[in-house]
Amino acid sequence: MTARVLAIWCMDWPAVAAAAAAGLPPTTQVAVTLANRVVACSAAAREVGVRRGLRRREAQARCPQVHVAAADPARDARFFEGVIVAVDDVVPRAEVLRPGLLVLPVRGAARYFGSEQVAAERLVDAVAAAGAECQIGIADQLPTAVFAARVGRVVDPGQDATFLSELSIRQLAGEPSLSGPGRVELSDLLWRMGIRTLGQFAALPRGDVASRFGADAVVAHRFARGEPGRGPYGRELPPDLDAVLHCDPPIERVDAAAFAGRTLAAALHRSLEEAGVGCTRLAIHAVTAGGGELTRVWRCAEPLTEDATADRVRWQLDGWLTSRRAGKGGPTGPVTMLRLEPVEVVSAEALQLPLWGCLGEEDRLRARRALIRVQGLLGQEAVQVPVLSGGRGPAERITLTPLGDELVPRAAPDRPWPGQLPQPAPTVIFGDTGGQERSDSGMNTGGQERSDSGMNTGGQERSDSGMNTGGQERSDPGSNPVELLDAQGDPVRVTARGVFTAEPVRLDGAGSHYRGELSWWAGPWPVDERWWDQNQEAGRSGSGRTARAQVLVADTALLLCYRQRRWYLEGVYE
Amino acid sequence: MTAAIALEERQNNRYEQLEQLRRQMAAVSGKVGSRWRAAEHPADVLPDSESLLAVPDALAELLPAGLPKGTVAVLSGARSLPVGIVAAVTSAGGHAAVVGLPDFGLLAAAEMGADLSRLAVIPKPGTDPVEVAAVLMDGMDLVVLGLAGRSVPPTRARAVVARARQRGCTLLVTQGQWQGAPLRMDARVCGYEITGGRSGVPVSGCGRISRVQVSIRARGRT
Repeated sequence: MTARVLAIWCMDWPAVAAAAAAGLPPTTQVAVTLANRVVACSAAAREVGVRRGLRRREAQARCPQVHVAAADPARDARFFEGVIVAVDDVVPRAEVLRPGLLVLPVRGAARYFGSEQVAAERLVDAVAAAGAECQIGIADQLPTAVFAARVGRVVDPGQDATFLSELSIRQLAGEPSLSGPGRVELSDLLWRMGIRTLGQFAALPRGDVASRFGADAVVAHRFARGEPGRGPYGRELPPDLDAVLHCDPPIERVDAAAFAGRTLAAALHRSLEEAGVGCTRLAIHAVTAGGGELTRVWRCAEPLTEDATADRVRWQLDGWLTSRRAGKGGPTGPVTMLRLEPVEVVSAEALQLPLWGCLGEEDRLRARRALIRVQGLLGQEAVQVPVLSGGRGPAERITLTPLGDELVPRAAPDRPWPGQLPQPAPTVIFGDTGGQERSDSGMNTGGQERSDSGMNTGGQERSDSGMNTGGQERSDPGSNPVELLDAQGDPVRVTARGVFTAEPVRLDGAGSHYRGELSWWAGPWPVDERWWDQNQEAGRSGSGRTARAQVLVADTALLLCYRQRRWYLEGVYE
Repeated sequence: MTAAIALEERQNNRYEQLEQLRRQMAAVSGKVGSRWRAAEHPADVLPDSESLLAVPDALAELLPAGLPKGTVAVLSGARSLPVGIVAAVTSAGGHAAVVGLPDFGLLAAAEMGADLSRLAVIPKPGTDPVEVAAVLMDGMDLVVLGLAGRSVPPTRARAVVARARQRGCTLLVTQGQWQGAPLRMDARVCGYEITGGRSGVPVSGCGRISRVQVSIRARGRT
């Protein structure tokens, strides 16, 4: 169900406005001229033969008593304001296409007044009371409604294309406020090619229209077919809640930033209070003396209090000024202007704290503030909050979410997960890869050289792997490829039936410093998941199964994961 | 009075001194209510939660004076140690943050009883993890800091230690050099229990790892 659109068209508006400006009654003969040509005339003038496009002298010849006025868009708009106010009284939030033409979504008005016809009658009465005549058209789409208004028709739902098919192709350029540049040439061209009605134009294939006549023709073609376009918005614009502070003298020190944050927060919360909303996402903009602009969006799970807003402004400025002093980017000069913009607001009831508070609430808020402050230093994604999730591997069973986002586990943890590894889980879990593609591209080529070069210290190497594979998705192991070898030195694989091809004897990890003879091994435990999902199948285990195994190498127990015909070190029990 | 005692006990190491002070305080508070005097161990009178951090049970035996809040400890060796401490602290109601350890086994922590809602991880703390840890001390009860092989100069360490003491936040440093920490703990895996073995000896291809045995050695500054 598309939103129906109502268009209000005041005929000959420039002429009506010119008559009103001259204090003449609307029934006088008026012609509005631009560059010595008549661009609009009143109905009375038209009756005696004045037409658009006539020269001024000729119009005066046809109708000696005509009142001639020069075209003046400002005058048109000024007098149209009265009509807009009258329409707003009946149906609020109409949109003006040009002086003389209004559109509004009619659904609410039709429901309120009983039917679209009744709503249209009320609107005609209201405009008449404001001293203008109008015609009303209603249709599914905005351009159709405008053309329906010219004939004063209500187009039945779904009948847009039928209504438009009768119209001449010249009408494509008939309404300048709806057509882009070059539309006149297009309608001319189509006319010369023998396409005389919009119906014939609509019957052309879209691809042909696009390839021969360009982008504007596609827009015209959509209109001719009555296809959905951009309708009137019809909603209340959000009130302007921004708080702006011009810093004089410019802010260069953190204590001045704290003071500015306090002032700005007070101003912002005054306007938020008046609007009855709380802010859950706050953008802090700063303009520096060098002309640079900085923006950082702060997001919070609960609506901000005034103190919390002030803190965030202070931390953000602190961060910016600190990074500037350290020479790591940041603002190019002292901050001259600060603007707080509530990006996301909720109704203020969400800000109600419990009457008695609850146990440990103070500690929780304190911890949260510290974490939010770190977010200010490192960015939103840096601080992650874990939540138990469902899954089979140890990495899948924890979902990490940036602080402030809703804690949603990727999979339900309370379902049975057959094949889940029993306790205990490894205390070191590798596999911070940023996703499937990343690990695929990066690990087979670059991973081996990297680890060969950096084999000296365990701690160093571990941090390397963590940094290179920076993503937060702890779903796929893969940053530490290892080789599981049998007695002959051939790699051990897992068959489709879920058993080893040979008994594993040695672990040789190019990417790990755990290497040597196995003193014990167990597995493989195949992972049966996602075989029903075509994409996942292709990406995850299209070339072989996924399985896990535990091995004991040099008195250290390791968890290995077999995926895409390779073994990866997934965890260490230590 | 306490000052005099402290002078007398200067020769003793720090933990005994603390114990002594605690006993004195318990004796003072014992005078208020007769019920308290009946307590068998005077040290129990002072609620541990106010000055000590919750630690795993096994660790409590190792550290006779517990892990005081506001100290800095350097951990090395097996990861089970920091994971276990994080689990114990969060399950006791404290808030913990793990900085610079992207391979921290959160599931293992949860299995040891950690309350994940009181835990936050910062896997990539950028170029200066110590600064991040110092900021986190404002609100956390425990910060685990992975230095990734860095070493922290003594001047910097001293400032952070002072901040930790002031905020009452315990800092556990791993994977790096930290000068002058009052407590060092080293954990080594000393064995695995593997189910499904034949007469206690694990058989390849059978069983699973059911338990990790870790031996921990703690060294305090005397």
